Amino acid sequence: MRQWQRRRLVGYAFVGPVFLFLCAVVVFPLSHAFWISLHRTRGLATRFSGTDNYHRALTDEAFWHALGVSVQFTGACVALHMLIGLCLALLLNEIRFAKTALRVAFLTPWMVAPAVGATIWLWLLEPQFGVVNYLLGAIGVIDTPLAWLGTPKLAFMSVVAVDVWRGVPFVMLLILAGLQTIPRDQYEAASIDGAGPWQRFRYITLPNLRYLLVVASTLDIINTIRHYDIIGVMTAGGPAGATEVLPVLLYNTAFRGNRFGEAAAIGVLLLLIVLAFAIFHIRLTRPEHGSAP
Amino acid sequence: MRTTQTLAALATATLCAAIGTATAQQPIVMQWQTANLTEKQYEPVWKATIAEFEAANPGIKVEPVLVARKDHWTKFVAAALAKQAPCIVSVDVATAAYNGYLMPLDKFIQAESAEFRGAWSPDMLSAAKWKGKLYGLPIWGGTYAEIYNRDLVTKAGLDPANPPKTWAEYLAWSKKLTGNGVWATAVLGGKTDTTTRVLLTWIWSNGGEAFNADMTEATFAKNPKSLEAIKFYLGLAGKQGLAAPAPTTTNYLEQTNLFAQGKIATMRNAYWAVAKVNEDNPAMKGNTFVAPIPANVANAPTMSTMTASSISASCPHPEAAWKFIKFDADKKWSVERARVANWMPLRNDLANDPQVKADPMLAQFVQIGTRARSYPLPSPIWAEIAAGDIVDAVQRALLQPEKTEEIFRDLDARLTKKLRDV
Repeated sequence: MRQWQRRRLVGYAFVGPVFLFLCAVVVFPLSHAFWISLHRTRGLATRFSGTDNYHRALTDEAFWHALGVSVQFTGACVALHMLIGLCLALLLNEIRFAKTALRVAFLTPWMVAPAVGATIWLWLLEPQFGVVNYLLGAIGVIDTPLAWLGTPKLAFMSVVAVDVWRGVPFVMLLILAGLQTIPRDQYEAASIDGAGPWQRFRYITLPNLRYLLVVASTLDIINTIRHYDIIGVMTAGGPAGATEVLPVLLYNTAFRGNRFGEAAAIGVLLLLIVLAFAIFHIRLTRPEHGSAP
Repeated sequence: MRTTQTLAALATATLCAAIGTATAQQPIVMQWQTANLTEKQYEPVWKATIAEFEAANPGIKVEPVLVARKDHWTKFVAAALAKQAPCIVSVDVATAAYNGYLMPLDKFIQAESAEFRGAWSPDMLSAAKWKGKLYGLPIWGGTYAEIYNRDLVTKAGLDPANPPKTWAEYLAWSKKLTGNGVWATAVLGGKTDTTTRVLLTWIWSNGGEAFNADMTEATFAKNPKSLEAIKFYLGLAGKQGLAAPAPTTTNYLEQTNLFAQGKIATMRNAYWAVAKVNEDNPAMKGNTFVAPIPANVANAPTMSTMTASSISASCPHPEAAWKFIKFDADKKWSVERARVANWMPLRNDLANDPQVKADPMLAQFVQIGTRARSYPLPSPIWAEIAAGDIVDAVQRALLQPEKTEEIFRDLDARLTKKLRDV
């Protein structure tokens, strides 16, 4: 065996286990889901149905409604994650006291399991006995208890708020890491040239963070659009479908409706949407756009 | 060489014998999953049932699967699809049987004595059948009735001995019971099938029907009596303001919490709700009374739920599972469930049991249940439509009362399409 062949074999030997692992945890489940999506399944009874499930999902009003809710939910959550995350990161980057304690405090919601956090908020927002209504009533903001999860607008706002509570720390952490890589001398030079805080932020901080913000928002979109747990626990998609995002529709179709083929088709469509977002953002961050660090 | 071979053969034989003995001594382990094992009032009963069963059957172990009510079905389905479902389960029989998750029990029950088979009425057994085959043994049930808070009724100047019999009387009572942070009742619109159960009792109490006889058509709006009942019931939460706020998030838990805290004066539920209320607030013990559901027609039926124990299709020990189901269905445990957890026995031979008769409220529920229809309704997609489509329509109508008729017409069309697509 020649040396280059031997070297190639060694390379394959190193890559092989990882390749097999990825096949087992990524390729096989995705292929299986796609295979199921081509079948009409009723419990343990299955028959091949081609693209019927895709046709059924795409012609179902519920799918388009859930897609609309998903877009609104993801848009609102990601925008708020980025905005609040950026503000908090700037704050933590500047302050000189209790830095570690504040970081830990801000990170706490992210450490809590989503279902646990959602259950806590479910009780905090309970209309009759919940702490939120009690506090708002005590300071005179509301006269009668609000049904936070009982009306479409409030329920949507509530699940967005809880998602923001949980999602901001991760974005904050990413941005904080980015802020700490910006060379201090750029700020010093700008200060000598008479730049104020806003100009320093606008012309130094933001350009330096641009690539990171795009990456963070890409990750956040991908993460948020497939969120199930918070909404599943707090509203199960209600009231009247106001918070029924695609993953909740998928879950309800699979486990409440026992239509696993159709649910798998919804899952594949959701994957395509996520992939589209990912490709769009990757193209934006390509070096020829001049945004890479 | 020969010695070595003999020694090796001896060692192999010893090893095989040891493995064989160990396997022979290995008890059969079966899992048991119902939606109710996590309910506190039932805990002492199921623990005692398992302990006595295992003592009587040393070769069999029963492992309870504790799962929250709302995750019960999901967990079962996920396990059933993986052919790893718990051996003994209590699920919606028609839906589970239709999906192939359950094992027919006919051969087991036919092997039992005539006395055992006769303990359940043919009607009761038919509620546990799908396409003529028996998939569950009825274990316990609950009859829906109107449960009142005696103190609140008395404080409102009403007579607990004369509870409302008609809707008009119920409305008059509700107006008197509402005020000072207390509401007459709670309208259920939360995302569980309890919402549908209560809605059906209102429809039936007006002489309406939600479905046609063979369950191929929905008639929530098509039947004028049904629509009238829906509007009246949901109206209690709307313009009437007689029901607790936030109905779209009110489920069984919220309803019983509100009742236990004295926030609502009446609740429509089964006997087990009284046990839950007493557990939540011991001060409520003896402070409740029950009456038949107010109705606009004579002899209006109420609803009796039927919970059956079944054997999952993938159970490797069906004989042992049947043994446990039979044990659990015994008179002794039926009475214990009724006495401790307020779950009504379904056996014919217990109607005149002295222990059942000794509990006046239970006896009253049994009496009310003589005019009951069984629940769940016989459709393989019942679990989906009862906790999904119907609840969505109720929520929409609660949020847009002026569109109630339109919403339920849409529901009729949607459900009819689904029922015919089965």
